[in-house]
Amino acid sequence: MIFQCSDLERALRTPELLPEMRAHAARCETCGRQLYLWTEISRLAPELHREWESPFLWERIRSALAAEASSRRPSPAWRWMLAAAAVALFAVWLARPWQSGSARDLLTDAALQEVQQTEAAYTHSIDRLSALAAPGLQQSPSPVAAVYREKLVLLDSAIADLKANAENNRYNGYLQAELASLYRDKQKTLRDWLTQNAKRN
Amino acid sequence: MVGASQLALIDRLHTVEYRTEADLLAACRGRDLRAFEQLYLEHGPRLKSIAFHILASRQDAEDAVQETWVKLYRGIQGFQGQSSIGTWLCRILINTCYDLARKRQREVERSAPVAERGAEPTAPKNQLALKVALDDALRRIHPKHRMVFLLFEVEGLRHSEIAAILEVPEGTSKAWLHEAKKELKQLLTETPR
Repeated sequence: MIFQCSDLERALRTPELLPEMRAHAARCETCGRQLYLWTEISRLAPELHREWESPFLWERIRSALAAEASSRRPSPAWRWMLAAAAVALFAVWLARPWQSGSARDLLTDAALQEVQQTEAAYTHSIDRLSALAAPGLQQSPSPVAAVYREKLVLLDSAIADLKANAENNRYNGYLQAELASLYRDKQKTLRDWLTQNAKRN
Repeated sequence: MVGASQLALIDRLHTVEYRTEADLLAACRGRDLRAFEQLYLEHGPRLKSIAFHILASRQDAEDAVQETWVKLYRGIQGFQGQSSIGTWLCRILINTCYDLARKRQREVERSAPVAERGAEPTAPKNQLALKVALDDALRRIHPKHRMVFLLFEVEGLRHSEIAAILEVPEGTSKAWLHEAKKELKQLLTETPR
């Protein structure tokens, strides 16, 4: 092959052509300069590696890694225990078994039993009042008696509905409190009627 | 020339325990800071140099290296070991440098306009001048070509390693190196105006 200047680019890609290129470059000033630059670029390149002292760099990196580690570190066991205790306390507070009545929303078994016992006592007491009030109330033609009858019918209806709901949701303190309130209302209504009836008679 | 602090680092390197890359990786996964330090001692100088060539600032280069180690720390559990840890570090560093370079560019654009980069390269008259001109020309060639040149010719990596770092075929790495040298030769051939 007769090497020409136009072959230079191809020869730079093909190491096999290097001897012929060198022979040509020895005679051709332009190609000689091109080949010189080509080899000098590779020869000088490693000298472009930069190195300098960074005495504090590793310390900076170590601090950054330590900060990273502390932000990822799982909480110690005592923190988990503290959190669990807080959750348990909150649950107890929600149930509030030491309270009775309207402020309680959720009931424990013991509290429910207490409520049911109170309800049974209330019901028994109200039944006795009803038995006392019934003869006069049912027979009286007065408008006042009619109002009392109507109110008692409404209260009985509301109590029946609420009892049905409370049966399906026995631990709902709110329903139990509402039921107790209706019982108290019925009890008060019967007493009021008996008091008024006694005064009238 | 090796400085006193580097000698101290080299001395410490000889005292650390991880003799194989597998041991080193296991210790890194266990968040052992000594393992990260060993990696720093082994790869830090090269990464600083690469970062410097991308960012043209020692301070920024050190920041990039620091950020690289933080990213390594965060992501070491996900490193599967398909490539060497050095290759992986290099990849993290280059991406970090590009992010930092973009940030610096935005800062420059927000502040006062800067003067044009130096004049046209002067024709090299001697070896030192040629080296300075080469350094200058290197900043002016295509970034991908520059990166391959930097990794291959300046830092001495193999094409297989460069291909893994840049996630390109090995043939592409070779082609980009040729293009880089061609561009550099062209720039060095230009005569001053």
